[in-house]
Amino acid sequence: MPAVPDYSTAEEPQLVNWAKGGDLQAFEELVSRYRERAYARAFSIMRNEDLAVDLSQNAWIKAWQRLAQFHGEASFPTWLNRIVTNLCLDELRRRKRARMDSIEEIEEATGPVENRMEIQEIDPMERLNREELRERIDAAMAKLSDNHRTVLVLYEYEQIEYKHIAEKMGTSIGTVMSRLFYARKKMAALLGETLKRDGLIE
Amino acid sequence: MNRNEIELKVQALVDGELTGSEAEALRQRINDDAGLQQLHVSLTQMRGLIADSELPRPLPESGDFYWNKIAETIEREESAGERAAPPTPASRWLLRWLTPLVGVSAVVLLLTLQQPTAPDLGIMLSGDHELELSSDEIDVMTYNTDDDSMSIVWLDYSMDIQKDYMELWLD
Repeated sequence: MPAVPDYSTAEEPQLVNWAKGGDLQAFEELVSRYRERAYARAFSIMRNEDLAVDLSQNAWIKAWQRLAQFHGEASFPTWLNRIVTNLCLDELRRRKRARMDSIEEIEEATGPVENRMEIQEIDPMERLNREELRERIDAAMAKLSDNHRTVLVLYEYEQIEYKHIAEKMGTSIGTVMSRLFYARKKMAALLGETLKRDGLIE
Repeated sequence: MNRNEIELKVQALVDGELTGSEAEALRQRINDDAGLQQLHVSLTQMRGLIADSELPRPLPESGDFYWNKIAETIEREESAGERAAPPTPASRWLLRWLTPLVGVSAVVLLLTLQQPTAPDLGIMLSGDHELELSSDEIDVMTYNTDDDSMSIVWLDYSMDIQKDYMELWLD
């Protein structure tokens, strides 16, 4: 009688190989290890708990169906998070088709950003620890429009180049650059506001 | 290049998206422009802040509940996939050749029955003639109309039928 594999201590590549062979328990162990990471990425983009749960679960289902396509060029969680991101982008596209562009996007298209928003230098690292800062950054990200937040997530978290972001978002490189620029400026302004309010900067 | 385009280039420089000569020319320009220097510092700082700032986030539901939905969907889709399994290579081959053959036979039969003068089949077609089929694998339905002297025959065959078994009898 073959020994039952010890999934909880197995290395990730071994789990992936077992899962590729149809072992659902090995896949469950992968889900157990990376489910919060997948959920966090979906939440970063969608900013909605229920949607983030649904989309990250759908990503796991797609990952199971496409495991044969995973050859280990990136790590498994990186590969999985790309699926999460793609599903989120699909969802945003569906939603965008159903609504008008936000006022923010209309404003973005009417002229240079610098006319309305001053460049703000902030150096909060001296006053805040990393965790406090991450929470403030997260709160500021939540205030961005879908397009600006998404481009920032794709560039900063997924580390995708401009041209690939443009492909994923179905837009031009120029628009990606413009959205990224605007998103960063707005982040600087939002962080500046919150730090000033808390008396952490002058 | 207007000011806005230059600023976007500065951002591309900070992001490492500019090539050597272009990056060098822009660095020179930044050195000569206090506003661009300030922008460069600001964007570099913002990049450093945001990169790797994604918060870890606990699931709003239990891990078991989360997994159950995934597992149920996988199992449901796999069992649905098995039910709709594609035909075997042998039956696919048979289907590939038999489909056009049966189709052509049906058309020939139809054209034959539609001829204005009775075809030389040794029998006379009348309004009450019917078709008989020797194979259980094929369902046949006919429609006869005396007014138009026309008969239409529908053949419904399965992929397992073999050519030799297909014999049509006209009564």
